[in-house]
Amino acid sequence: MRNSFFHKLVPATFALALISTVTPRLHAADADELKLLRDQIRALEQKLLVLERKQEIKDEEAAAAAKTAPKISITDKGFTLSSADSANSIKLRGLVQLDHRAFFNDNGAAAGLNNNGFVLRRARVITEGVFAKNYSFQFVTEFGGSAVSILDANLGVTVTKALQFKLGKFKSPIGLELLQSDSWTFFNERSIATNLVPNRDLGIQASGDLLDGRVNYTVGVFNGLPDGASSNNADFDNEKDIVGRVVTTPFKNDASSSLQGLTVGLAGSFGREKTASGRTSGYRTDGQQTFFSYAATTVSDGQSWRLAPQFDYRNGSLGVIGEYVLSTVNVRPSANGPKAELKNKGWQLSAGYVLTGEDSSYGGVVPKSNFDFANGTWGAFEVVARYANLKIDDAAFPLYASAASNANEASSFGLGLNWYLSKAVLFKLDYYQTSFDSPAGAPLISTSPVLRQDEKAFISRFQIAF
Amino acid sequence: MKLKFPFFAILALASAAVASAKSIELLNVSYDPTRELYADFNKAFAEHWAKENHGEVVTVKQSHGGSGKQARGVIDGLPADVVTLALAADIDALYVNAKLIPQDWQKRLPENSTPYTSTIVFVVRKGNPKGIKDWDDLIKPGVSVITPNPKTSGGARWNYLAAWAYAKHKQGSDDAGKTFVSALYKNVPVLDSGARGSTTTFVQREIGDVAISWENEAFLVLKEFGADKYEIVVPSISILAEPPVAIVDKVVKKKGTEAVAKAYLEYLYSDEGQDIAGRNYYRPRNQTIAAKYANVFPKLELVTIDAEFGGWTKAQKTHFADGGVFDQIYSNK
Repeated sequence: MRNSFFHKLVPATFALALISTVTPRLHAADADELKLLRDQIRALEQKLLVLERKQEIKDEEAAAAAKTAPKISITDKGFTLSSADSANSIKLRGLVQLDHRAFFNDNGAAAGLNNNGFVLRRARVITEGVFAKNYSFQFVTEFGGSAVSILDANLGVTVTKALQFKLGKFKSPIGLELLQSDSWTFFNERSIATNLVPNRDLGIQASGDLLDGRVNYTVGVFNGLPDGASSNNADFDNEKDIVGRVVTTPFKNDASSSLQGLTVGLAGSFGREKTASGRTSGYRTDGQQTFFSYAATTVSDGQSWRLAPQFDYRNGSLGVIGEYVLSTVNVRPSANGPKAELKNKGWQLSAGYVLTGEDSSYGGVVPKSNFDFANGTWGAFEVVARYANLKIDDAAFPLYASAASNANEASSFGLGLNWYLSKAVLFKLDYYQTSFDSPAGAPLISTSPVLRQDEKAFISRFQIAF
Repeated sequence: MKLKFPFFAILALASAAVASAKSIELLNVSYDPTRELYADFNKAFAEHWAKENHGEVVTVKQSHGGSGKQARGVIDGLPADVVTLALAADIDALYVNAKLIPQDWQKRLPENSTPYTSTIVFVVRKGNPKGIKDWDDLIKPGVSVITPNPKTSGGARWNYLAAWAYAKHKQGSDDAGKTFVSALYKNVPVLDSGARGSTTTFVQREIGDVAISWENEAFLVLKEFGADKYEIVVPSISILAEPPVAIVDKVVKKKGTEAVAKAYLEYLYSDEGQDIAGRNYYRPRNQTIAAKYANVFPKLELVTIDAEFGGWTKAQKTHFADGGVFDQIYSNK
């Protein structure tokens, strides 16, 4: 029994002794290993922190560099290069319109009319820029039509939103439809009422937004132009025109109002014209054929003024515009003939409806999806309609304009379909019909082949505008 | 209607009238760690200016970053009315590269246009676990040193030159200086672009064992992040850092702010300006004000850039220009 106990005790004692000898050694080894592991973890942790910080610094540097790097933007609104702070930019835009005009109901070439065919209506390179945020310029060259010309060349100075100056050659601020971009009018051609307002003139204007953008005013001094004319970069007399326009969008900030998109305005000009050269510019139909012009010897001499109430209404897909123009001019049949004050009047009402649901807009329709045959998307479609009338003062005939070769009134209607393949690409098909009235004393058959029948024409257009 | 008004003159007058209605605004383009100093000083100056000028309002905007980077910004068109940078070489660059200031700009204000001074010290973690006592400890294996990039940071250039001066004094040659800074930058894991970035690396990202730092920035670390977490170690030798200030002549003439910009910098030398510097841990030039803060700033041997390196122009060209000594040692890292 004792032996047995002894035999058991000895190994146990030996084991205890061994454990008591080895354990501290094992503990010491563990502690060393733990310290080593901790150091390694710390070192790895530092390496990780360093890598993270390096990446953070790289990101900060990239963000800082991006803030100072110039920006390049290529969109369907043009090519823009701008400084990092957007204070300086230069934009390149373009407009190309290829029209096809098909007249019927006239005797065509047999009557001396050569009016069917393709026309490069507009081909423009538009350069715009901004410097130091508040100074801008616009330069537009026209390669379409019959001659290359500088269409617009002007400088802008922004003092505040409420006070901005424009100097140079640009559209005289009277006609509602004339002031709209050539790219985005409802029809290929503006209405005959636009014949009564001046086009691009040389001058200085101040403009701005007031009352939280609900009122916009423009007032300027210009060289002054006959109806429908553009400046040839020189004044044709020593007189100047004061031109002004005020428009208000009273419910602009009331999103719940159905009148939110209603803009009404009044524009006018006042000046004198006195020149030895004749009033050569005539009035043209929707098909761009002349239906009235003064006699070559008729000259302006005296007051000329215009009044043009106007409105623009947009509500979802519906757009309606209307304007009335009264243009008054004092003329003589020649330098020494009797003077008469003539009042010519015109008006128009146009409407458009976007069939595909996009919003109608003064700045064109932006299709929800571009035309893409492969993917089955078709862009946006808009139908448009217009009625317009222009009445020449009866007193113009026959002393100041020939009764034999002019109409004294034109009335036209138009119907059209606009297909917006994308924001930049547009196809238009318009039908125009214009009837003419003859002045007293006119022959049974007008000497102008244009006036011998109603003008009926299809004008189609393919346009790229960016 | 005949109109013979001088339209362009009217336009110019209208623009001028609008411009003149604005209050005076200055832009002070400064280096990284001066944010707090100029936040205090701008407020004091605006009050002083209003008192002296019938309530006229002056607003001073601040821009901060690595000193070299800030100088390049001004050269590239940042419209600074005044620059308050880390070292004279960065302001010299405004003359050399863009003629924005005259060559003798430093003579226009007292003390070579340096209204306050500072120096370079070390910040270590509480308890100084790596036992950092002097520059030699920074090149030991396993010591991780935080200092910004001398190519972009003025403070980093002072750090570099202080280290060089220490080795040169200890071993008596520029070769020793080069060897020493080479070894030092081998222990630098991250190069921030400015001093404030380095503080972020050391304090907030918890990288490194020691940060070489502006003295004022070191005090700020203790104040903002806790004296229970960090300690300042003052080396046996350091460098007298003299951050200069200057009006940017071309900008102030164009903006019509010359008088107020001049007054702004001159006010740095006033008793109040000097006291604000002292409160923000910059060493005031005014000895009376400096005495008030004598117990704040440790006394140590300070070498000068002129005596040790022949001035900033020479030091810049030798050490920090493209292809200079720093590029040689750092590209070999």
